[in-house]
Amino acid sequence: MTLNRNPKKSRPYDEPPKRRRRLIPDGADSTAIGFFVASAVWLAVATVIGALAIGIRLIPFELSFPLGLFDLSFEFGTRRVDAAFINATVYGWLTNAGFAAVAFMTPRLFGRPLAGIKLANLGVAFWNMSLAGGIAGLYVFDLGPNAALSAMLWLFEGGLATAALIVTGSFLATAGASIRSGYVSAWFAGVALLGLAGLLGLNATIGLADLFIELPALTVALASVFVERALMTIWLLGITYAILHYVVPRATGQPLASGGLAILTWLTWLALAPVSALATLQDTSVPFTFTTIGSVATILLLVPAALAFANLVQSMQGRWTLLFGTGTLAFAAISLAFLLATSLLEAIGSLRTVDQALGGTDWVRGVFLWAAYGAFSFAAFAIAEHAMPRVLRRAWGAGPLASGQLWLAFAGTTLAGLALMGGGLAEGSLRAAGTAPDAIDAALLLYRVPAFVGFGMVALAGLAMLVNLFLMYTSGEPVEYAIPGQAAPAAAGH
Amino acid sequence: MTVHTPIETRSSGLPRWAILLTLFVFLVGGVYLAANLVGENPPLAIPGESAEAPVDGSPDPAVGEALVGQATPQCSSCHGADLGGSDPFPSLHGVEEGAVSENLQDFAAEYPDNWAQLWIAGAPETEGIDRLGMPAFGDQFSPQQLDSIVAYLKTLP
Repeated sequence: MTLNRNPKKSRPYDEPPKRRRRLIPDGADSTAIGFFVASAVWLAVATVIGALAIGIRLIPFELSFPLGLFDLSFEFGTRRVDAAFINATVYGWLTNAGFAAVAFMTPRLFGRPLAGIKLANLGVAFWNMSLAGGIAGLYVFDLGPNAALSAMLWLFEGGLATAALIVTGSFLATAGASIRSGYVSAWFAGVALLGLAGLLGLNATIGLADLFIELPALTVALASVFVERALMTIWLLGITYAILHYVVPRATGQPLASGGLAILTWLTWLALAPVSALATLQDTSVPFTFTTIGSVATILLLVPAALAFANLVQSMQGRWTLLFGTGTLAFAAISLAFLLATSLLEAIGSLRTVDQALGGTDWVRGVFLWAAYGAFSFAAFAIAEHAMPRVLRRAWGAGPLASGQLWLAFAGTTLAGLALMGGGLAEGSLRAAGTAPDAIDAALLLYRVPAFVGFGMVALAGLAMLVNLFLMYTSGEPVEYAIPGQAAPAAAGH
Repeated sequence: MTVHTPIETRSSGLPRWAILLTLFVFLVGGVYLAANLVGENPPLAIPGESAEAPVDGSPDPAVGEALVGQATPQCSSCHGADLGGSDPFPSLHGVEEGAVSENLQDFAAEYPDNWAQLWIAGAPETEGIDRLGMPAFGDQFSPQQLDSIVAYLKTLP
């Protein structure tokens, strides 16, 4: 006998309960998933703030209104928007992606699950809550004499340092003694993580010390510009090298062209990255020789970039067709091109005569854009493209959204960076020619408008990535990949 | 079985071109270092701190020194690291005694009290004088800040 039921009359308890997936699955790759999802959200946030930062230069305005709490007020102006943009980009988008890369690569390189995975998952929450609080605080609290990446309240910087320590500890515990014979990506990642944790710890310590003993403004300013530059050269550059040396052999399915070149890349970067930050200490109280040594180290950072470029391009041999799709290798190749270009531009910019003429102009912002949204972001896109299907076990959408993400990000970053650098060159030459400031501002509009349009395209690329990720999570086709540290249903695909 | 998928390398040696490239770039760096060992850094432009004139409005040479470091382009980029002059740009030492370059002698005689402030600002009074590439800083600094800058320049022997 069959029972015919009217579906309109069925009540909720007649239906079997639907199985709901947790936002972050409780599995071997949950830390990587958490950091990847957070990074995609921060990319969308950072690009919107970035478009605002360029827009505020086209139509300058400031806002201030009291919050009605402890005499605090919400302040909105160029410096605060700039600081929020840089923090959302570096700590939000790029560092979350870097942590995700570490959480993804480490178990696969060492053949064991990530150590302390529950604590590492706590690190995901700790990092992002501290960051959200810190960025909100940038619009409320006094920024003091700090550079953008040191401008958060010490409490939030302490939170960031703690989360960075957790991830570093997890990495070191997973790698253990095997790191000595490990792959070069692990060496890059290890040094970069230790550098990040140390620099964030220094940031928080200075903020705390300033609270009790009120350090001289010059000391705080010098420390903060050093930390800001070192974060770029040690952490972001280091994790970018780690990612590129990992994804290129994986995506091509071929071995790395030269182990010797990779070690030379690592050694030169290790020796030069911390020293190059000395170049920022340009003050009468700092010996001239120190800053010159920093400038020379910045010039020499061209060496590891060129070596990595040559090594990884050689590793792509025979797989050139992969460059013309929207896959991992296309993202990695664009990252490599931007990496070489920005190393060259930074080497030129560190020459004293160039620095004196272009320092403080849009040139500096253009080079930062190429480094952050060109070299570092495309490496992050590459690892996301490679890792997301493997950690979520779902196919990555390769349709118009993936193409849109690649081409909008590439064209937008190229356009915005070129426009800002061109504007910087124009500004420098106009000032040297004695042009009145009003006339200079009018001339710069020609450069800032395309920069705004270009960065808007990058914002759309961020949105495309977020939507693609959402669609993959909700409706992607299931794919089998091996889980590190567990029995492997499919050993391939790492 | 645990999944361990190490990345292999095709060769472990170091190509000759890589050694030569590294040595060449380090050599260029060494030459640049040797050529730039002596000099003086400009004052640091402390983020967010625009050196303000004192509340009582009197010019302060210390504030002026900080402002000189914050100017864009920096004064030292043309007038030398110690503002002692760098051909063809004149030395800024000796402003206390009067105009330092020939093109300003008549102007300084006409405005003996504030010729330096007017000149640095690029004020309308300076129209007709060849600026010889000197930028106008009138939109970067307030009149009080210009007074402090001149007060600082007058301390240079």
